[in-house]
Amino acid sequence: MTDWKALAHAAGLAGDEQALERVTQPLETIETVFRPLTESLPPELEPACTFDPQEPAG
Amino acid sequence: MTILEAARSLRVHSVTSVELATAALSRIERLDPALRAFITVTPDRALADARRADAELAAGLDRGPLQGIPVAVKDLFAIAGVPNTAGSLVYRDRVAASDCAVVERLVQAGAVMLGTLNMHELAYGVTSANPHFGAVRNPWNPDRSPGGSSGGSGAAVAAGLVFAAMGSDTGGSIRIPASFCGTVGLKPTYGRVSRYGVLPLAHTLDHMGPLARTVRDAAIVLNAIAGFDARDPASSRRPAEDFVPAEGCGIRGLRIGFAESFFFERIQAGVESAVRGAMARAEALGARLKPVRVPDPAAINAVGQVILLSEAAAVLEPYRQRRELFGGDVLALLDQGSLIPATDYIQAQRIRRSMQRSFAEVWSEVDCLITPATAITAPPAGQATVTIAGGGEPVRPAATRMSRPFNVLGLPALSIPCGLDSNRLPVGLQIAGPPFEEARLLRVGAALEDSGIGVPPPPLTAEC
Repeated sequence: MTDWKALAHAAGLAGDEQALERVTQPLETIETVFRPLTESLPPELEPACTFDPQEPAG
Repeated sequence: MTILEAARSLRVHSVTSVELATAALSRIERLDPALRAFITVTPDRALADARRADAELAAGLDRGPLQGIPVAVKDLFAIAGVPNTAGSLVYRDRVAASDCAVVERLVQAGAVMLGTLNMHELAYGVTSANPHFGAVRNPWNPDRSPGGSSGGSGAAVAAGLVFAAMGSDTGGSIRIPASFCGTVGLKPTYGRVSRYGVLPLAHTLDHMGPLARTVRDAAIVLNAIAGFDARDPASSRRPAEDFVPAEGCGIRGLRIGFAESFFFERIQAGVESAVRGAMARAEALGARLKPVRVPDPAAINAVGQVILLSEAAAVLEPYRQRRELFGGDVLALLDQGSLIPATDYIQAQRIRRSMQRSFAEVWSEVDCLITPATAITAPPAGQATVTIAGGGEPVRPAATRMSRPFNVLGLPALSIPCGLDSNRLPVGLQIAGPPFEEARLLRVGAALEDSGIGVPPPPLTAEC
């Protein structure tokens, strides 16, 4: 799992503990759901940056 | 009075557009000091637009039902010569040089422009407690949040200051204020309405759409603003159509899906009761209610948050070190986004494509989905958490978790009011569907509305 507090420190965002929590705690929450989703992506899967909502199923 | 009623009155000369605009300006002057729905009011522009509409109608030039109708736009939308601040100090000195695409089309349809509406700072939040332009108040109860980020749009429509308003929706920012303020709100399919000239929050999640008093009024606005625009790289070439549901439209035989898991979990009792009541009404109207399983909305939301945090941080990175420009909540979100690695953003966009494909299979089983628009009704203003089924939850996820999946998927979603909770606050019902099926969603919404599903005007309106 990503150490968001270390990243925040490295980015110079470290204020008091409460400010640090405000930045990193939501990221930790997202991470618990997001990270497992990244573990089985087929290599040919393209990003949706050019997003077409009409793309067919399958 | 609805847009349809006003349009009929204008054409039989029982009212003029100048009278409608003057009444709206008078109402704004009386109510807006308390509501703080507007950032900039443009009375000279409105009266000039209204005089033009009256003259054109008198000369036989009929531009359609929006002609002569007072409207306003969220302060993200550019109106030539008008401040365009996004509710932020970042853009405080910005004056739009030209109209955005949506305003161009509203002008072409003959709408009367009353000004720009207050919002959550930079459209990045759900409370519309704007630290720079004042906190928008909810016409149903001034101690309650109007929702956001298009809170000024929701409050202005609910309080009768405008017939319709434009909002933007990146994670629910049209549907949340529609739900909290008891109005209709439509987030069209991604690409259906041009984003050109609207200040961005997150390029692949931003959608533009109307808030209005009725479903048909929202459809009338969509008729005016939908369609291809070469200046927006995401704009769809799909032809626009007539979105306004016919009088007496039916939903007999329509397959309406509902997903018990996620969409009916952790919602306030008053929300569940009103939404299930509307579902029963749909069934009574002949629709076939069908339980369905949908790809995990919590996972879709997590992907959406990674994309939103990253894209918004990129848009605002040039300003992030000028920390005095931002409210604390927005600054924390920008800092969060600045920490997300590029690999995570790209993975999120790859997962998004996979989810889009999986979700498309739902539409082989049902024609649309019904969910609550928000898990909660309008929370007390300034309150950071809400209680749902005995447990606490921060207001932000409680407000967005029903709506955000449809931003990630780019799918159309309509919020309509479907009743009041025990605090006499409006409950929003969401109807979502396949890409570019706005007309179907509007038909379902209109059929429910015609059957009596809805809310009365807010008490603020009744008292004035």
